[in-house]
Amino acid sequence: MVQPKHHVIIGSGITGTQAAITLRERDPKSRITIITMSTLLFYNRYDLPDVFRGRTDWQSFLVYPPSFYEELNIKLRRGSRVVNVDSTRKEITLGHKETIRYDTLLVSSGGRGYLPEELVDFRSLMHNFATFEAAMNVKKILPENGKVIMLGGDMLGLDLARNLIQCGYTVTVITGEHTFWPHTVEGNERKTFMKALESMKVETFDGDKAEGIASIEEGKKGKPARKIIFKDDTVLEGDVVMPFFGLAPAVEFMIGSDADIERGLLVNPELRTTNEHIFAAGDVCQIWDKKDKSYKFFYGWKNVRAMGEVAAKNMTGDNTAFVTTQDEKLRLDKKGQINSPFWEYD
Amino acid sequence: MKNTDIQISICGSAGDGTIAAGDILKRALAKGGFKVIAFDVYPPEIRGFGKCISRVRVTTEQVYSLKHHSDVLVSLDDSHAIPHVGEVRDSGAVIYEDTPISGVLEGSHISAHISPGQIPYGLPVREISEKETSGNRSRNIVALGYLAGLIGMEPEIFHETIADKFRGKAIKITDMNVAAFDKGYALGQKTFKLDDVTVGKAKKSRNKDATITMMNGNAAVVQGCMDAHIKTFFGYPITPATTIMEKLATEMPKVGGRLLQTEDEISAIAATIGAGYAGSRCATATSGPGLALMAEMLGLGVVAELPSVIFVSQRGGPSTGLPTKTEQSDLNLAVYGRGGDGQIIVLAPTNVEGCYKCAGKAFEMAEQYQTPVIVLLDLYLSNRFETVELPKQSPFTKTSNKAAKKKDLEGGYKRYAFTKDLASPRALPGQENGMHTITGLEHNELGRPSDQPRMHEDMSAKRHNKLLAALSHHDITIEKRFGDEGDVDVGILGWGSNFGECLEAMFKAREEGIRCSAMKVVMLSPLPLGPINDFMDASGEVFVPELNYEGQFANLIQGATARSVHSYTRVPGSPMRVEDMLVEIRRLAKIKKAKKIGKTKKAKKKAA
Repeated sequence: MVQPKHHVIIGSGITGTQAAITLRERDPKSRITIITMSTLLFYNRYDLPDVFRGRTDWQSFLVYPPSFYEELNIKLRRGSRVVNVDSTRKEITLGHKETIRYDTLLVSSGGRGYLPEELVDFRSLMHNFATFEAAMNVKKILPENGKVIMLGGDMLGLDLARNLIQCGYTVTVITGEHTFWPHTVEGNERKTFMKALESMKVETFDGDKAEGIASIEEGKKGKPARKIIFKDDTVLEGDVVMPFFGLAPAVEFMIGSDADIERGLLVNPELRTTNEHIFAAGDVCQIWDKKDKSYKFFYGWKNVRAMGEVAAKNMTGDNTAFVTTQDEKLRLDKKGQINSPFWEYD
Repeated sequence: MKNTDIQISICGSAGDGTIAAGDILKRALAKGGFKVIAFDVYPPEIRGFGKCISRVRVTTEQVYSLKHHSDVLVSLDDSHAIPHVGEVRDSGAVIYEDTPISGVLEGSHISAHISPGQIPYGLPVREISEKETSGNRSRNIVALGYLAGLIGMEPEIFHETIADKFRGKAIKITDMNVAAFDKGYALGQKTFKLDDVTVGKAKKSRNKDATITMMNGNAAVVQGCMDAHIKTFFGYPITPATTIMEKLATEMPKVGGRLLQTEDEISAIAATIGAGYAGSRCATATSGPGLALMAEMLGLGVVAELPSVIFVSQRGGPSTGLPTKTEQSDLNLAVYGRGGDGQIIVLAPTNVEGCYKCAGKAFEMAEQYQTPVIVLLDLYLSNRFETVELPKQSPFTKTSNKAAKKKDLEGGYKRYAFTKDLASPRALPGQENGMHTITGLEHNELGRPSDQPRMHEDMSAKRHNKLLAALSHHDITIEKRFGDEGDVDVGILGWGSNFGECLEAMFKAREEGIRCSAMKVVMLSPLPLGPINDFMDASGEVFVPELNYEGQFANLIQGATARSVHSYTRVPGSPMRVEDMLVEIRRLAKIKKAKKIGKTKKAKKKAA
């Protein structure tokens, strides 16, 4: 008897979940396993700023109820970290030493917040906003009408900033090269968007002018909880410091897997890595662009969902190339406020 | 204040400290003023690597049974815990080892079995234990600490309970375990909580005497024996009754009592009856296989009208059967298991407090009605922990012997005299002028052998009828009705440990609008037929759930009342599921409704 294929997906975000749905449609008898470090089921990260509007029940963030996975016979391995992929034996090893065999593997582990090297020592004094748990933690420690200092910016950070301001908080962005990441904005255009930030009541501080950050320290008793000291001795105080420097692909477990890595996993337009049984999709991969003759990251909700679908099709015998449909242009709306297509999602 | 009602299951292999962790948990929470019901399941091999589960239900209000679904499962051994993951309700928590010492095959780790609706919490239990105690023996305490921190229990009570647990051992042992607990606790507190399992505040303020109000059925039996001034105990160990003897062995010598482990159950009952003959308050304890061996000697106790108390804790049978699983299948043996017309008194407590009461009262009855008395427990009740409030003063008599008085001894003492209350004055061996014959043969009033038909008729009647007085024995519940008063759609007739589940099912049925009541029958022999018939009169349908295959209680009731009941039997080796009983109650309520409609239609037709 022919054993049903085992499709394994690393990552339970929109890419991995969409891939699982497509795989189930195309291969009804297969085994599908999603491995994720998260203890929560798939939720929309774009909704996380809502915690500041009082939406604090994690269940309300779930895109699909628990029964959805059971109905589609998708096995979820939550709280599980992949530590190794052995492409020769087609085996994945999890942090708790369990090995899982796969027939096809999709890596959609996404990206985690990138932190420049000079700030690594201050990691414990900063707060991220990557998960529901992290969002709730920020909400818990941020005093009413408190002040958030955002390092870098990036479109995830700026989305949070506009939401925080609407909720009565103050936000200062220490601007730099990542402020509009992943948009590439330069020259006069940048000036226009910086001005637009001001109209959105986002305070900005040119970190480069202040020669960069010298240190981040805890604030004194009775003062805001954090202070940032710049190399030119300027000091900024805030209740929470949050880094937003774009995303770095989460690929460390793929080292030695026979799939080539540059910054992300390198894939062809069909999202196949250099190993024929391993695919990659979402923020974790760089896709070969025939026109530019280079590997490129494609961000945005529309893109990563489409990649999940394309990867699933190709894992089940198709040969479809990924084509981006995401508008990548940063623009201003009628009120003169920044509007990024990366903020849009269904 | 939100009421607390959570159930925690801890599952591991023998040697993992599963039962010890459950024990600390239930004692700590009882100290904190909560109501606790707990039940431990051991492997049939008793020792080795079999499965152990400790289930603890913690509530603000009194409840009567464990729940089918737990709110939390703690796995100390995934191979044993995996089959129980499904017992955790949606949004409940599964706590497990995240750093096993060696590799595991696909699907052998518990995380592979946690459903999307459940919340996984993996933690490095072994690593923490090794760091805090230089060994992995405190894994259970680390996991317990994590659980306590996660769901918000007070750590101080656990510290005290851990100290109690290791009292008598080197102080270092306590310190290491407290440190292991604290480490787990801190991690639990730090964990982002996604489940909805919480412990509120207990209603009562903390009870300093709580240690004596938290006990299992066997311990309650022992306490009942001690408060009833037991003098002699003979026994042979057998699961699940062994702990009665073990505890009495430490308690009885303190007050001048004597306990002897005999070579087998036959010796145990023979010596017990002998001690009863000598006027000593005496008992033995056994399980089904042991009771089978005691059958012949019990017949002697009946015919010679000698007091003795036999505690019988049932387990799965027949024969060696399921030594570590619960069942209610020795009812027939207890009620009927003797040669001849050998009726005795059989009491079946329904909860831990009842074990205490029945144990003490059994001695009174054995002496007052001059008969062996069986107190019928089962593994579930023997091992089930409950918070109980026991009276500060013993409610039991020191002796209930109907002693032969001077006038009884004059002119030839009749040991088996026919008296108004049918219990003859009893002279003890050595009593002046009290010399008499004791024999297994049928006898006359003097005790001398007699095969006269009339004498056998009269003596048989005497031996049976004297027991009827036990139905109105002072200060003991023989039977009791709960729930709706008056006529009901469904009446649940229950007995023994299963009655807790009967009550829970009844409460749920009433919540659904079914008129329902439940009656517990504590005295199984002789049966309180009056109240049982009244209950059956008031019940549209009579539902008799029990943990045996044959429907032994249902048959007993049907035989005694000549009325039919709905027998419902299960033999899973574990307590009956309330949800299953509820399904049956709903079905019976529909039958009752249909009958009612049928009757109305008939009446209308007749009137027309």
